[in-house]
Amino acid sequence: MTGSTFQFDFKDLKLAVSQVESVMGYKEGESQETISELVSEVLKEAEEICTMKAEYRFFDDIAFDEAEKTVTINGLVFQIKKIIYSQIKKSDSAALFLCTAGEEIGARSKKSMKEGDLLRGYIYDVVGSEAVEAAADLMQDQLEREINALGKGITNRFSPGYCGWLVAEQHKLFQLLTDNFCEIKLSSSALMYPMKSISGIIGIGKNVKRHPYTCSLCDMKDCIYRRSKA
Amino acid sequence: MDDILSKISSCVEFGKIDKASPYPPDMKGQDGADELTRKAIDDGMKPGDILEKALIPAMAIVGDKFSRKEIYVPQMLMAAKSMSSAMKHLKPFFQSGEAKRKGKFIIGTVAGDLHDIGKNLVAMMIEGGGWEVIDLGVDVGTDKFIKAIDENPGAVIGLSALLTTTMENMKKTVTAIREKKSGIKILVGGAPVTKEYCEKIGADYYSPDPQGAVNYLNQIVS
Ligand code: B12
Repeated sequence: MTGSTFQFDFKDLKLAVSQVESVMGYKEGESQETISELVSEVLKEAEEICTMKAEYRFFDDIAFDEAEKTVTINGLVFQIKKIIYSQIKKSDSAALFLCTAGEEIGARSKKSMKEGDLLRGYIYDVVGSEAVEAAADLMQDQLEREINALGKGITNRFSPGYCGWLVAEQHKLFQLLTDNFCEIKLSSSALMYPMKSISGIIGIGKNVKRHPYTCSLCDMKDCIYRRSKA
Repeated sequence: MDDILSKISSCVEFGKIDKASPYPPDMKGQDGADELTRKAIDDGMKPGDILEKALIPAMAIVGDKFSRKEIYVPQMLMAAKSMSSAMKHLKPFFQSGEAKRKGKFIIGTVAGDLHDIGKNLVAMMIEGGGWEVIDLGVDVGTDKFIKAIDENPGAVIGLSALLTTTMENMKKTVTAIREKKSGIKILVGGAPVTKEYCEKIGADYYSPDPQGAVNYLNQIVS
């Protein structure tokens, strides 16, 4: 079984102050100077403390069950439910991935909050979340280039806990990603540690497509991360 | 309203912590909630009045603005911080019994879950609503909640969870509290929690945001 591992420089993520502010709710130009200054300070600090890592592994032994809306990978059955099923069912192989921003940014968030610097604590938290997503984007771009070179395409990435796929299925995912490069640990309640981590699946095949945004597939209409309000 | 009370109130509403704090820009160089509260007390103002006529109403405005999405988390946090800078001057009066809060509120993120941003926001807003908040932290097991209830009779409980898997532990905690204690009000919240889930597990109230919880608490003590 093959795959790839990555270590990114925080700077490569190209996180902008405005992007962090937009996740916090602000429209361009609406944020206060004090907040913008703090965000840029935290972004600078994040360059030193975030250890951005990602990994994907390829799995060729996959089978789909249309009636059950499941995918079986190396004999483990994943109940991915209909939305994700419809997006990846034409895949002939799959990549399972993990990505993390490391422990430290989460630790600083907690520490700041404890010491009463609530705003700074919150900004660490948002930066950590944005960083891990941005790193996953870079990882996915690299995967796409690798797969395109073989004349195939990839799907969007999908995570347990989204679109009806239960978070508890993380346990199976981690069974297939033993000794992971990101050094993420999964708790019995299916929580990943470091907190700023994500996991999931990407379909691979001649007849699959990566859409610009997946938000329209999801039913969390009020999500702060929703890219289009449609 | 007394001039100083209305000044304290607007400091809290707009997040002006103390004289040194640069935010908000139009209040630069002026006294903040910290100095004004000290001054009010030194001038003989009743601590209870500062709490009830300045701090609580200001935080209620902040909470409502947040619910209506007119302000975002950062402004709410600045308001909360300036409220605590005022509150620190009131604490001795709470301890001596000279000023009273509305009651006690015990909050924690349930077992198996480490999320705390949402829980912290709720804790701060409820403190700003005039309650004494006992924050048990994250990954709080049922026993710890029960112990806290024993130590703080009459307290209201708040449970937070961010994953559907840990939401199951919310159910376990509610069930155990119901079995062992009677008459305890339990509030629940967190991204995956819904009103339906709240009813299903036998909790008393669900709120998607902090202000809803504050309003509910006000209702039980009124
Ligand atoms: C940012 C985010 C992340 C970040 C950071 C996570 C972290 N906490 O550090 C990243 C990208 C790393 C991430 C990862 C994952 N996430 Co995520 N994430 C979110 C997101 C978009 C926002 C969470 C947040 O910070 N909100 C801001 C805070 C302030 O809000 P809050 O905690 O909800 O609290 C508010 C209210 O809920 C309420 N409240 C909270 N507690 C209480 C208590 C009481 C008593 C009351 C009255 C009110 C109340 O008041 C608060 C203030 O308004 C949510 C979706 C969403 N829009 O909520 C998903 C969400 C939480 N994630 C989800 C999932 C599934 C995951 C992953 C499992 C996905 C994966 N497989 O990779 C991982 C798990 C990570 C881990 N460590 O195990 C799901 C969880 C639901 C579920 N299915 O279990 C959500 C809900 C998205 C969804 N699918 O609907 N995530």
